[in-house]
Amino acid sequence: MKKGLEKKKLKEDLSKKILNNFKKNKFNFTDLDLLIDTNLLTERSGEQFKKFTLTYKDLFGKEISLRPDLTVSTALKYIQEKKYKEEKYCYYGSAYRLDKEGNLKVFDQIGCEIINSSNNKSENILINSILEPLKKIKNLKVILGDVGLFKILVESLELPARWKLRLVKNFCRIEYFEEMLKRLETNYDLDQNVIKLDTKRLEDLKKLDSNETIGGRAVFDIIKRFNKKIKDPRDNYKGKKNVKIIRDFLQINTSLQNLESLILSFFTKNELISLSVKDYLKKIARIHKEIGKKYSINFKTNFGRNIDYYTGIVFLASVKKKSKIIELASGGEYNNLLTTLGYSRNIAAIGGAINLNELINL
Amino acid sequence: MSKIKIGLPSKGRLKEEVLFFLKSKNLEVVNSFGERNYFFNIKNNKEIDGIFLHAREIIERINDGTLDIGISGLDLLKELPDAYSKNVKIFKRLNFGFADLVVAIPKDWLDVQNMADLEEVSFEFREKYGRRMRVATKYPNLTESFFLSKGVSQFRVVPSLGATESYPFTGSSELITDISSTGSTLKANNLRIINDGNILKSSACIFISKKITKNNFLNFF
Repeated sequence: MKKGLEKKKLKEDLSKKILNNFKKNKFNFTDLDLLIDTNLLTERSGEQFKKFTLTYKDLFGKEISLRPDLTVSTALKYIQEKKYKEEKYCYYGSAYRLDKEGNLKVFDQIGCEIINSSNNKSENILINSILEPLKKIKNLKVILGDVGLFKILVESLELPARWKLRLVKNFCRIEYFEEMLKRLETNYDLDQNVIKLDTKRLEDLKKLDSNETIGGRAVFDIIKRFNKKIKDPRDNYKGKKNVKIIRDFLQINTSLQNLESLILSFFTKNELISLSVKDYLKKIARIHKEIGKKYSINFKTNFGRNIDYYTGIVFLASVKKKSKIIELASGGEYNNLLTTLGYSRNIAAIGGAINLNELINL
Repeated sequence: MSKIKIGLPSKGRLKEEVLFFLKSKNLEVVNSFGERNYFFNIKNNKEIDGIFLHAREIIERINDGTLDIGISGLDLLKELPDAYSKNVKIFKRLNFGFADLVVAIPKDWLDVQNMADLEEVSFEFREKYGRRMRVATKYPNLTESFFLSKGVSQFRVVPSLGATESYPFTGSSELITDISSTGSTLKANNLRIINDGNILKSSACIFISKKITKNNFLNFF
């Protein structure tokens, strides 16, 4: 076991080496803000964010949080500095999160981010830069996933649009997602007796000015959604069939090399028509071509669901030590994050970070 | 041996029901220090020192060790952080003070029957108005946990001190969670309880400090 001073020195040396490596790949070092306006975090991820961030109120009642991760801080930096072209950032610093018991955990991270790039190789550049410092580690395993691929699957299913949206939006909430699948199988959320009663009351609602608001919602919106809901075309057979397809899809775990053929045959076998799947898989094929031979990479469709801002490729590098999995680095694409933090439009972004605390303990 | 310190609700129907309950257990509360004084005794019992407090305060004082026993609502304990349950134990659930903490929406939201609907509407609301739906409540923690457990994440809690039922119609929130015994106050304010929107079934409880779990006085209950 390494002692305090020894660890500190090791951390400093390692961070210098890794940052130099990032700089060689044309990433610019940036100092990130330690504090974040809590409203920005909760607007993006909802109230649950507060449960694991250390938050306090200033004298004026404004809530401020210690940064829970460095990707959000980097995205905020891009917005604050009013950037509008591609930026390649690298950073070194701590992220602060509370565990389930409310104890503060500090994660020392060193990472890089590419924001607003139109280069279709930016995923390769980023993943390569993160994995490069780890390449000498024995038995390093890399897992790749892709949240965007799940979205393509859902788009190709015969389902009402509102259900497609729901499944995609709740993909990262694993427990609730399971509940949703059960509901989709059984249709239990449509109570025909209540619908009958409400259809009668609908006539009264139609007499109101459609722009009038009731509890913040326009009468027009309420009527529109009610009509859409009662015409929900699901039936039990289709519900069960769709859920089976989703469950089977989420079981896929294969080498990166076999992924393309496996996914295409999955779509054919299940009679799913998607015009975009072939195109989408090209991105993963590019990663395989450039990085696949250097590392042992597996693709899991069920991977990358724990962080809600990921929209595409997600990755994790780990090693097994005394039957325990040590997570050394992770990251992913987050194409919508900047808009939710206040940027004027969705832009491509990908980032990743190495967990220095774990790395020095190897 | 030091006396047992007991806290009881200082006002309202809960106070009346608690006094009635204690009397039925041969523990008659007497205001030895005058009607308006907060301290009381139990008739023919010198083991007890009593004080009337706000129902929320009773749980706080058991937690910090100032009180040994108290009668208050289960909802109030559940709203507090989990750490309180280490010091404040539920000794007995009582057969009065019933109330449910429920999710209520404007009755004309015909398209919303259950929490799954609310989850969908909350996403639509955010996309349309660029902000999250607001839930007014006196129970922010219970509300937050319940909404998240039902997949509703696009919301913001608006703390309320009273008259919560009015919030959706004054533009202060879109929906509410509140304590309801019969549902009549909600109905009178044009609100409707969501089908699966029952957050907590509450009743009055005898709470005790972890220090006195084996005290003989508890045999009275």
